[in-house]
Amino acid sequence: MAGSLGLGWLRGTAALLAVGFGLGILGLAKPSVAVAQGPALVVQITAEPPGLDLTATPASATATVVFYNIQEALVKVDAQGRLVPWLAERWHTTDNLNYTFFLRKGVRFHNGRELTAADVKFVLDRARNPETKHPHARQYEDIVTIHVRDPLTVTIALKRTNAMFIYNLARQGSVIYPREAVDQQKSQPVGTGPFALERWDRGDRIVLKRNPDYHVSGLPKLDRVTFRFIPDANAALAALQAGDIDVMAFGLGPESVELVRRAPNLQLIQGETTSDVILALNNSRKPYSDVRVRRAITHAIDKPEVVKGAMFGFGRVLGSNIDPLNPYFVDMAKAVPYDPARAKQLLMEAGYPSGFEAVLKVPPQYPYTVRTGEVLVAQLAKVGVRVKLEQIEWGQWLDRVYKNADYDMSIIGHAEAWDAGNYANPKYYYRYESARFQEVFAESERTLDEKKRRELYVQLQKIMADEAPVIWLYAYPRLVAAKKGVQGIWKDLPTPSLDLSEVGWAK
Amino acid sequence: MRRLILRRAVAFLATLFVVSLLVFTVVRVLPGDPALLIMGTEGSPEAAAALRRAMGLDRPIPVQYVEWLGGVLRGDLGRSIQYDVGVGRLILSRLAVTLPLTVLAAVFMTLAAVPLGVYAATRNGRAGDYVTMLLSQLGIAVPSFWAGLLLILLFAVRLGWVQAGGFDGWAAGLWSGLRALLLPAFALGVVQAAILTRTTRAAVLEVLRADYVRTGRAKGLSERTLTWKHVVRNALLTIVTILGLQLGQLLTGSIVLENVFYLPGLGRLALGAISARDLPVVQGVVLFVAATVVTLNFVVDILYAVLDPRIRYE
Repeated sequence: MAGSLGLGWLRGTAALLAVGFGLGILGLAKPSVAVAQGPALVVQITAEPPGLDLTATPASATATVVFYNIQEALVKVDAQGRLVPWLAERWHTTDNLNYTFFLRKGVRFHNGRELTAADVKFVLDRARNPETKHPHARQYEDIVTIHVRDPLTVTIALKRTNAMFIYNLARQGSVIYPREAVDQQKSQPVGTGPFALERWDRGDRIVLKRNPDYHVSGLPKLDRVTFRFIPDANAALAALQAGDIDVMAFGLGPESVELVRRAPNLQLIQGETTSDVILALNNSRKPYSDVRVRRAITHAIDKPEVVKGAMFGFGRVLGSNIDPLNPYFVDMAKAVPYDPARAKQLLMEAGYPSGFEAVLKVPPQYPYTVRTGEVLVAQLAKVGVRVKLEQIEWGQWLDRVYKNADYDMSIIGHAEAWDAGNYANPKYYYRYESARFQEVFAESERTLDEKKRRELYVQLQKIMADEAPVIWLYAYPRLVAAKKGVQGIWKDLPTPSLDLSEVGWAK
Repeated sequence: MRRLILRRAVAFLATLFVVSLLVFTVVRVLPGDPALLIMGTEGSPEAAAALRRAMGLDRPIPVQYVEWLGGVLRGDLGRSIQYDVGVGRLILSRLAVTLPLTVLAAVFMTLAAVPLGVYAATRNGRAGDYVTMLLSQLGIAVPSFWAGLLLILLFAVRLGWVQAGGFDGWAAGLWSGLRALLLPAFALGVVQAAILTRTTRAAVLEVLRADYVRTGRAKGLSERTLTWKHVVRNALLTIVTILGLQLGQLLTGSIVLENVFYLPGLGRLALGAISARDLPVVQGVVLFVAATVVTLNFVVDILYAVLDPRIRYE
């Protein structure tokens, strides 16, 4: 009995060895380098980042890859949109002018060095220096001095109270990096995040590897993350169906949602974003300088129909620029209702009884702008506003419309959170100049009392709805398609990141 | 022959000079600049202006041109704004995808089109001819990106034989690389194959009507010898001319398929560089492609002389 057992064992081993040897000779065994050590994830993103330096570009493609994955800030905007202490474990202020931050102990950069207060000082001093070309130097302009008290304590002094100060420290441009790595940010960013950059194959993919010293214990759950750049939505969907990628993070068009819902091996993640899709009007041009005309255009647009026609019903109808993820959001969608008769009457009062002609410039790089434009052309025609839809390439759009305000109407989604300040800036491409709005906005920036600030924001939203500097159409929906079994992806997108620290596979 | 090469070399340099001047000016006159695209709608206009100055884009265009040309003459094509690597290295790494893709497509195209065209011509007016012509008409009518998507849906999604796209690099093995390029090369080659089939058929038909073919037949040459040795040889002149033109079109067509199959090739590099206004890359790629096309034309000219002893370019 024992003998036969032994023989069986021997025979089995011999057979295994032979097969293994044969496979090895034939080269059929997979090369060991291709085998991942642990759980890995392949994520499709639409656009390749124009460099990986968050302090040099506000591009969402850069933030998607780098923000919260490779680099982090003192404060974090979490999945629910709340501000939580992050690299700073706490802070305090007695006068709302001097803020002292206490850094988390034992946080290490990917290069092994410990994070210190001197890094924080270096990063913020650099950000507010206009010479460094930080995309948002103005967000740091109230800072007067940054004082390092000890290796883990830093005090920032402001010249005036600033209600957005802590929030600005949580933005992607405020990430903390080691001062010795400042010159390699563009292609080799170093940070404290759950993942470190392994390689960037230009034009193809970015690979991140797990940071074994991550300061949050138990995270990340993945060993490796690969971002693949697939610009074509159909190609990305096919790659997901074929199993080449695990997550389609951006670029899932609303037209493909049904397909994802019906696929047995896929899941749909649907939520909100901070992106407001607007019909921008050039307030410095006639007839848009007349508030009656702007109100007439608002009354002429049936927004639920726009969402249905252009977005297959996905997206929340908006009535002001404050997005649904903002804590001060008030639903203004019905403040100026769809009322074509009223629209015609207002046009008559403004001196355009038979309407007028307009050119609507849209960038086809963002397909929703074209689809939305087509619906709007039909709706506005009903009140006599004859709109010609003109598609222009993104680079030209930025130059003509955004930089030089050479346009009548345009459609675009503004993704930035807390961007009501654009309406207080008469040089912004809306060319909207309202003393009333500017005054209330300035006050809101200096008001720290939560209740008072909310009141001011409610007031801002009412002014916007009333003066209609642009027409807010809908909040762009968050639509993510993923393989079943992928867990931990944020439902909403309160900040432009694709935080993968808690993402993993179901056991 | 030496005079021919010398004349060609002068024309080559003159063409490249004109191309470089044109592309340099056009990308700078175009509305939109790299600084604006990097900052997008979310960066401040002040930051965009500062970045533009830092890139030296506020200087007069002739000054910028002379500086760039000086670099090119020293073999330095500049540095990519978006990628932060040398343009020359970037182009070479992308060629590793685009060149095999185009060659594979050209091989597909030639292997399918020439025999089919000859077959159709020799079956002129019969069923085989009609079927071939119908198929080639279909091939011309189908856009390559659509053909590509259909191929992906069938072979990658439904059958799971190949991946839906992407390219893992030649380091992952020759077979892995070839497998990634098979579908896109087929989709790319199909349209051009359809065109070449029709050209070949027409060229062969033309020659078949010649007197010497009748003579050959009369003196008892086998139909096979006649077709391949006399007819096709004489039809080749037309075929090679079209083929040369089509190689250029394959290069352009690869842009579309590199997008559908998300291959990191030269076409996608060019497209991305234009939309990002990555000026050094646009200039480098255009110059490189111009040099390639001029060289291809030169090779076709030499081939003429080889194929047709009457042409010797005095």
